[in-house]
Amino acid sequence: MGAITILNIVLRLAIWFLLTDDFSLPNIIIGMAIAFLIPLSRKSSSTLKDWLRILWEVIVAVPQAYLEAFEIIFRPHNDEDIIRKKVKVRRNSGLIFLDIFLITFTPKTIVVKYDEEGWYEIHRVKRKIRNKK
Amino acid sequence: MIDTLSYGLIIVGIIFWFWGTLPLIGNRSVLFKLHSLSVSDTLGSMAIVVGLLLKIPNEWSLLVLAIMTLAIWNTVLGYVLAYCSSSNEKIINKK
Amino acid sequence: MDSILIAMILALLIPIYEAWQDDDIWQKMLAFASIATKTSIMMLVISVLRDDWSIGVVAVITLSVGEAGLMLLAHLIKRLNEA
Repeated sequence: MGAITILNIVLRLAIWFLLTDDFSLPNIIIGMAIAFLIPLSRKSSSTLKDWLRILWEVIVAVPQAYLEAFEIIFRPHNDEDIIRKKVKVRRNSGLIFLDIFLITFTPKTIVVKYDEEGWYEIHRVKRKIRNKK
Repeated sequence: MIDTLSYGLIIVGIIFWFWGTLPLIGNRSVLFKLHSLSVSDTLGSMAIVVGLLLKIPNEWSLLVLAIMTLAIWNTVLGYVLAYCSSSNEKIINKK
Repeated sequence: MDSILIAMILALLIPIYEAWQDDDIWQKMLAFASIATKTSIMMLVISVLRDDWSIGVVAVITLSVGEAGLMLLAHLIKRLNEA
C-alpha cells in the first residue's frame, strides 16, 4: 500500500466526518468501511510529492490573490496580453484541473485555453507601457 | 474587537464589489472585465462571507460551505466564460 | 447592517444596467454572472440579519445552481456561434 493510497483514504475519512459531524463509534465504523470500499483510482502517474505541493500552493494562493487584488486596485493595470506556458510533465487530469484553478483564481491571470499538446494560454493584465494600448 | 474586524471585512468586500463592477460599464474587452470581476465577485464576496462568519460563528458549516462554493464555482465560471468567448473570435491584438 | 444592504443593492444595479445597455452577448453573460453571485451573497447577508438559516441554505443552493446554469449557457452559445 503506497503513500498515495493512505493519503486518499485519509481525505475520504475527513470529508465523511465533515459531512456527518458525528464522532460516535458506529459512525466511525461506517466511515472506515466506506473509505475502504470505494474503489481506488487507476494507477496514477503523478507522485505524492506533486499532490502535496499543489495542495500547499492552493493554501498559499488565497493570501496571494488578495495581495494581487490590492495591487491592481491601487496601481491600475491597463494593459493586457496573452502568454503561453508549458504544462509541467506527467500531469493527470486532476492535477491539470488544480493548475488551471490556481492560475485563474489569482486576479491578474486567467487561463483562456488548454490544449492537448501541453500548453496553457494565459491572459493577464499588466501596468501600462508608454506606447499605445 | 471581533465586531470591528467583521464590519471591516464586510466593508472591504463592498468596496471590492464597487471597484470590480464599475469597469463593466466601460467598453473594454470581455477578458479585461473578467479580471476585475474576479476581484469583486470572488474575493470581495469571500471577504463579506468571512465577515459574516466572524459575526455569527455558530453556523460555521453553512458559511464555510458557501466560501468553498464561491471560490471554486466562480473561478471555474471565469475560466469557462474566457474559453467560450475567445474561441471563435481573435481578441489578441498583440502576442 | 441596513446600510450595508443598501450599498449592496446599489452595487447590484450596475450589472443590471450593463445587461440592459450592452448588446454583445458575452458582455451580457458577464453581467449576468455578476448578478448571480451578488444576489446569492445578499441572500446570505439577509439570512444572517434575520437569523433564519433556511434562507442561507437556499442562498448556497442558488449560488451553485446559478453558476452551473451559466456555464451550460456559455457552452450553448459557443456551439450556436460555431454553427
